[in-house]
Amino acid sequence: MGKYIGKEFSRVDGVAKVTGAAPYAAEFHVPGTAHGYLVMSRIAKGTITKIDTAAAEKSPGVVRVFTHKNTPKFAHPEKYKSFKALQSPEIVFNAQPIAVVVAETFEEARAAANLVEATYRREDPSTDFFGRVEEAEQAPDSPFSGKSVQTTGDAEQAMSSAEITFEAEYTIPAEHHNPMEPHAAVAYWKNGKLKIFDKSQDVYTVRSNLAAALGVPEDDVHVVSPYVGGAFGCSIRTNYYPFLTAMMARELKRPVKLVYTRRQMFTGHGYRPFTHQKIQLGAKKTGELISIIHEAANNTSTVEKWNDSTTRFTRHIYACPNMKTIQRLVKTDLPTPCAMRAPGAVSGMFALESALDELSYKLDMDPLELRLKNYAEVDPANGKPYSTKALRECYRRGAEKFGWDKRQPIPRSMREGNELIGYGMSTGIWYAFQQPATVKVVLKADGTAQLTSATSDIGPGTYTVMTIIAAEYLGIAPEKISFGLGDTQMPKAPVQGGSWTTASVGSAVHGAAMKLKSRLLSLAQKDKDSPLQGLGPDEVVLLDGRLQNRKQTSNGVSIVGILKAEGMDSMTEVHKETPSKIREDYQLLAHGAQFVEVRVDEQLGMVRVSRAVEATACGKIMNPKTSHSQEMGGVVWGIGMALTEHTEVDDRFGRIMNPSLADYHVPCCADVRKVDTDFIEEDDRVVNPLGVKGMGELGMVGIPAAISNAVYHATGKRIRHLPMTPDKVLKA
Amino acid sequence: MRAYVPDFDITVPDRLDDALKMLAEKPGFYRPLAGGTDLMVVFNAGHQIYKNFLSLHKFQELHGIHVTDEEVEIRALATYTDLRYHPILKAEFPMLCQAAAESGAGAIQNRGTIGGNIGNGSPAADTPPALAAYGAEIDLISKDGVRSLPFRNFQTGYKQMDLRPEELIRGVRLKRKSGRLHSYRKVGTRKAQAISKVCFAATVRLESGKIVEAGIAYGSVAPTVGCCEKLEQKLVGLSLAEASKLDPMEVKKLAGESISPIDDIRSSGEYRLKVAKNLAADFVSNLENLNV
Ligand SMILES: Cc1cc2nc3c(=O)[nH]c(=O)nc-3n(C[C@H](O)[C@H](O)[C@H](O)COP(=O)(O)OP(=O)(O)OC[C@H]3O[C@@H](n4cnc5c(N)ncnc54)[C@H](O)[C@@H]3O)c2cc1C
Repeated sequence: MGKYIGKEFSRVDGVAKVTGAAPYAAEFHVPGTAHGYLVMSRIAKGTITKIDTAAAEKSPGVVRVFTHKNTPKFAHPEKYKSFKALQSPEIVFNAQPIAVVVAETFEEARAAANLVEATYRREDPSTDFFGRVEEAEQAPDSPFSGKSVQTTGDAEQAMSSAEITFEAEYTIPAEHHNPMEPHAAVAYWKNGKLKIFDKSQDVYTVRSNLAAALGVPEDDVHVVSPYVGGAFGCSIRTNYYPFLTAMMARELKRPVKLVYTRRQMFTGHGYRPFTHQKIQLGAKKTGELISIIHEAANNTSTVEKWNDSTTRFTRHIYACPNMKTIQRLVKTDLPTPCAMRAPGAVSGMFALESALDELSYKLDMDPLELRLKNYAEVDPANGKPYSTKALRECYRRGAEKFGWDKRQPIPRSMREGNELIGYGMSTGIWYAFQQPATVKVVLKADGTAQLTSATSDIGPGTYTVMTIIAAEYLGIAPEKISFGLGDTQMPKAPVQGGSWTTASVGSAVHGAAMKLKSRLLSLAQKDKDSPLQGLGPDEVVLLDGRLQNRKQTSNGVSIVGILKAEGMDSMTEVHKETPSKIREDYQLLAHGAQFVEVRVDEQLGMVRVSRAVEATACGKIMNPKTSHSQEMGGVVWGIGMALTEHTEVDDRFGRIMNPSLADYHVPCCADVRKVDTDFIEEDDRVVNPLGVKGMGELGMVGIPAAISNAVYHATGKRIRHLPMTPDKVLKA
Repeated sequence: MRAYVPDFDITVPDRLDDALKMLAEKPGFYRPLAGGTDLMVVFNAGHQIYKNFLSLHKFQELHGIHVTDEEVEIRALATYTDLRYHPILKAEFPMLCQAAAESGAGAIQNRGTIGGNIGNGSPAADTPPALAAYGAEIDLISKDGVRSLPFRNFQTGYKQMDLRPEELIRGVRLKRKSGRLHSYRKVGTRKAQAISKVCFAATVRLESGKIVEAGIAYGSVAPTVGCCEKLEQKLVGLSLAEASKLDPMEVKKLAGESISPIDDIRSSGEYRLKVAKNLAADFVSNLENLNV
């Protein structure tokens, strides 16, 4: 543990958030702003033959009504293939925007939006993914998970000779992120330059996409997104609304604001796709896996091919010599899916970890023992050593905390009154990604430091962890450090996604501090009498506002003193950190073990997760407080996915039936009981200078499978189709 | 119709008498507005057909929970929070407190009223099954005075009730009697903020060891509150021990006869029927374990 790293820190932005001082995208007030309101299509497929805007245009306060007829074409569509609104009369999904009414007030825009009348040539939509899995075609390769078909050994051959085989199919419906903050943008132009306040996980990509689409240089686009009220992946891609908002502001020569309604959020960005999976396992009677075949299909839109990478971890988790994974796609008349917390991983692990549980009963073996029997000491797909892997310790610690040894092996053997009790467990896995990132540090002669990097903080506590890292390595108290993010006038950082922000931006903060330390040391050593004479950068440390001898800390000089002696007001360092080459020699993964107790009311079919224990190994823990919050959030997400979340589509109309928080059920506080999260710290010198791995997504990966396995253990009923609603539990 | 605020009007009379006159002069013109937690949802969705609202808030006559030796009278503007923490209700009519505690969450409980819950006429509302089980009386007020009827007769069909356009709900009255046992179960997708898939309210009252009154009612499984009269009759006259030994299949059959659940986005009719029957059977077989 350092002076700051590893200690519990409350969020540095917490007070601003709870007092309303932190502005979210829709809260930037620009004088003279006009308000847009979207009009959505009522069909899922076809063409607009006529669109009548006359009544809307006459409605009070209306400034202009934009439709495909009067909206300029966005340039360079090849640069960014995502859906863009109002570019043609073609309809490719239900509740696609067909017009935006802009008025002086929000209420006027909303009232007039209702007066826009569209006539369509309607075609029958096709949204029944599960009915069309047979038609799936091979997915394109993915930049993160590689080829859509991957093999190790000869999985088919090994399967046919296996002593024990198991095969089953699993399905997951579409799910929506549903962050609290609705998507919004406020845009205005001044002297040909665009400024846009947006809700984004990736301001630089918004900038390049808007610049390309609007035909202006990137330097003329300024994207600002300091606070994000949750995103979970739905603000990674540039959604259609910032393009529209910027376009309208330019056409109208005044600021324009556009905010999605909750309903519009269900088609205003992507979602976790519908997924169908088939798992085949081949094993020895003694439990060793000899073959895994994992086939997955997810739905995509008709305009883009979204590969959800469902099988991404299957070949990296168990010591199995023969493996094959296949990813396929089915086109549907729905919007394009997108990344949603632990994309692919949580879906794939639901199937694989459920199947493994099923196999354990077939083998009459404890599910945990089966996993230990197949523990991978090196990566089974490529033979690389793991940089670190404390999964075995996670299993041990998790099982102990949970009381796994009290599990009665036979299903339906634990009960209390009307409630059947079940134990289930699963393994979680995620990457230890790192991306290039740049940070600017300004060290001031008043003893403070300002850091900036255009990353985002969608809730994990990025402001806070960067402050902690800067405090640690600059030797300055956290209160004297400010960290700025979410602005394209700041140095470039990667999208906040993939659980790589601390590894990427945090490492850049560390690198910048190291450079500053060297510069300060050379300045200090200009003084012949300096107590630091003769020392190299590794022999000194920045601590408590001083540059001092690492071994003999009384020997040192104050940072402010060094700057003042040079007559400097401040010292600036811009540092770009890139992943080191040595990462390539290792398999870099974070792991976790999840243990869950469920109580199933036999008369109601109602499942409650009464206890969850999660033991996680993801390198170093920088801030235990926010880290526990991340893992707890992961458990809550897992509960939602397992039990309640389900975007329901009426296939006759291709229309989402539950686009509201009243009908799309995320768990509420009362659904979350005891959640115990624990970390097994790993000392990883390979992944990055800080030794941190991804954790934001990891926490949910194993939970749906663990819950499903617990439901089986409680009831003797295996539910392979999420969510496990009471109807299904009672019927099964 | 998307709600456009200037298209709507609200009148806030100071006196109930004036309001009742207004209602009588223009029947159906004004829509009573209590907490607004049902009306505003429809408003926001753009489906609000009413344009003129009449705020009830200033009428002292509609506020409060009044207790006499014989009765508890809950006036229409009592909120869920009022119900939830009321000591007499907690002791004698706990199913109403539980219904209130399990409705929405804090904000809705502070704002939503029992009059609105009844007046909205939804078959999925959570207090009506408890009111029906307790045999409540409902009081309706107009400029001509107060009209009372058994709550069970108030709902006449899906979203239909015996409420004339010139009338307001004044409140409900519950008879205070000792010896009641109660069981209230709300079944929703999640623990809070969920519209019921099935709601079950059941009570029996004992005198000298025998059941002398039984009230068993469901929400969300019929166009109105579903009252299990046949099962109620079956229980009357039995001791708890005798009742708890009734054949569960027969109990389920009797319970099922009074309801007609349908499929909707929240549940299948099949699930609702099965669960409704399970709840009745569970209640009856566990009667001996309930606390007086
Ligand atoms: C987030 C949320 C959660 C909810 N959860 C639940 C729940 O769990 N269980 C549940 O049952 N309901 C729930 N509701 C629905 C609603 O809150 C309740 O029905 C509430 O009791 C309505 O009361 P109100 O005072 O707000 O009614 P209002 O919206 O003001 O009125 C509802 C209707 O009753 C009429 N009305 C009101 N008062 C009178 C009167 N005195 N005389 C005649 N007519 C009258 C109105 O004209 C209107 O038609 C929820 C609503 C929301 C928004």
